[in-house]
Amino acid sequence: MAKTIAIAGAGLAGRLFAWALARAGHEVRVWDAGPGPAPAFDGQGAAAFTAAGMLSPLAELDRAEAEVAVLGWQSLRLWPAIVAALHQPVRLQTEGSLLLAHRPDQGAAARVLQRLQQAGADLSSFPTPQPLSAAQLRELEPALPAGPQAWLLPGEGLIHPLQAMQALHGSAAGVQWHWQRPVAEVQAGRITLGDGEQVHADWAIDTRGLGARPTLPLRGVRGEVLTLELAGHGLRRPLRLMHPRHCVYLVPRSADELLIGASEIESEDRSPVSLQSAVELMAAAHSLMPQLGEARITRLDRNLRPALPHHRPHAHSAPGLIQLNGLFRHGWLLAPALVQRLLTQTHPDPDRRATPRAAGRQQSGRAAGLAATRAAERGHGGERPLRGARGKTRHHARRGRPGAVVPTHRRRLNP
Amino acid sequence: MTDSFEIAGVPLASRFLLGTAGYPNPQLLAEAVKASQTQLLTVGLKRSAQAGDNGFVAMALAAARAQGARLLPNTAGCRSAAEAVQLACMARELYDTAWIKLEVTGDEHTLQPDPFELLAAASELVKLGFTVLPYCTDDLVLCRRLLDAGCAVLMPWGAPIGSGQGLLNPWALRTLRERLPEAVLIVDAGLGAPSHAAQAMELGYDAVLLNSAVAQARDPVRMAHAFRDAVRAGRQAWLAGVMPAQDFAVPSTPVSGHAFVLS
Repeated sequence: MAKTIAIAGAGLAGRLFAWALARAGHEVRVWDAGPGPAPAFDGQGAAAFTAAGMLSPLAELDRAEAEVAVLGWQSLRLWPAIVAALHQPVRLQTEGSLLLAHRPDQGAAARVLQRLQQAGADLSSFPTPQPLSAAQLRELEPALPAGPQAWLLPGEGLIHPLQAMQALHGSAAGVQWHWQRPVAEVQAGRITLGDGEQVHADWAIDTRGLGARPTLPLRGVRGEVLTLELAGHGLRRPLRLMHPRHCVYLVPRSADELLIGASEIESEDRSPVSLQSAVELMAAAHSLMPQLGEARITRLDRNLRPALPHHRPHAHSAPGLIQLNGLFRHGWLLAPALVQRLLTQTHPDPDRRATPRAAGRQQSGRAAGLAATRAAERGHGGERPLRGARGKTRHHARRGRPGAVVPTHRRRLNP
Repeated sequence: MTDSFEIAGVPLASRFLLGTAGYPNPQLLAEAVKASQTQLLTVGLKRSAQAGDNGFVAMALAAARAQGARLLPNTAGCRSAAEAVQLACMARELYDTAWIKLEVTGDEHTLQPDPFELLAAASELVKLGFTVLPYCTDDLVLCRRLLDAGCAVLMPWGAPIGSGQGLLNPWALRTLRERLPEAVLIVDAGLGAPSHAAQAMELGYDAVLLNSAVAQARDPVRMAHAFRDAVRAGRQAWLAGVMPAQDFAVPSTPVSGHAFVLS
């Protein structure tokens, strides 16, 4: 039985929910403060448009907790099926990424590698950085000059955020999008718009970014990126430079386009990119690929990453309500796994309110994530519901249920 | 037992000053601050004070206040006296404190303080009523000039910022202690391991200031504990008087009849 779904926010998480739920036959409406589905590159709007789209669960272990890596590897398994089901082409690549360090910066590299090793100690089933000889690096990335030390991070990848955002919007058949309509509050079964209008639905889903304040103690962390055009630049994989001061990555967007990112500044300043950030980012990228000297700077963009004090996402479900906020710098890396988790663990019958066991139950994150990923490692595929969620689903199935938000046979995000 | 020291007449029970940059997230920062039991928490403003406060400093401030600590704004990133004075004035307005950790960088590679700009900025800020805590090199003459200019304390480096190399020149630090017995001396920057902090305290320094060694540790909270304990241990050792080293073994229990073995 089709349900009505009201989604607050048309960023990446909002679009994934809208697309998945519309596919499952539900009646979906989305409200967003932005002017329309396309980005304006004005420092406002969804952070997903500004993001590089790196899918790097291993490299992110430098600063993030193990749970981020576990969910990231799950998302890497989900993306190919999602992209394949979209109606427009989206560049997705999972041929690994590279960590690079100039020889004088070996100390900085050693610190990063040690943190990756220590943080990854619990994650022995996942890849680890592979040191590359000069010859191996040349073979993988002929466009890179000899010199820097390099490590391959197998299995990591990248997605083209602009293509994916457009394709998710374009492929979400039947969804009603309401632009320039900021949402003030999201409660179970109800969305309150900025002008006071209330919208009722079987399920309300909150995917807002900083707009989810004050419900959540979010802060914006400024990030700045540059887009470059250089025909036939030759770079195949995303690169990260391990540097004592700056965290810089270089992402090939197409055969002719690259993105350099990103600053991370404790500020909610949305004004244009600063000269200092631009100089630092460009100098670091140029030091890795001198041929970028002739690239053209086609865009300077900035945005705010919505972050909670612990930098973990807020992923929560209760009868009639789903919340997914605060994805910080990990939106593209985490969104598919979290959307899938929330849809599979969702209480199947909104009318059967709040048995204490089901209401507001949250995955305890790391343990549940590990369990699911180990199941995936054993060959069950990453699309299986998590253990806790599976148990709950069976529990309600025995009682019989008139209709789940995502019907049983299509509970998965991917087809 | 209280063993406090004073800065500008304010008694401080903790001899461990902590920085707020580079933690994995603000929650871990708050937990590390708690574990450190610091009473003086430094915060950088250069790139966030201009516009768009995102609440990070307020979180640091809340963590500080939760244990009665003061916020110590710094001028990290400034390259001239004028720039540092301007930022200090902004910090005083924003955070209602006249205490400033004065940093003026003279070399981009080592982040070594520029002694000339530092002295100029310190003189100006003292005139403007600030309590100035200058991050300086271990040069005795510079340190004297900074005291003459009215600085409340001296904060010589142990090693370049963030390098984690420990006390690269213990001789110079010991000389400062011996020649400036009345000054409040704090080793700032370059510490990597708790043993480095203990070593600074054993030299008779009044306190240590560090940031990266805690923030970049795999477990910042545990490392904050470790440094807190090391600072206390080093302080106790200084007060107790470390036995000077000598070149041969001495049995703790006198043994007769073997006196010639030592010859």
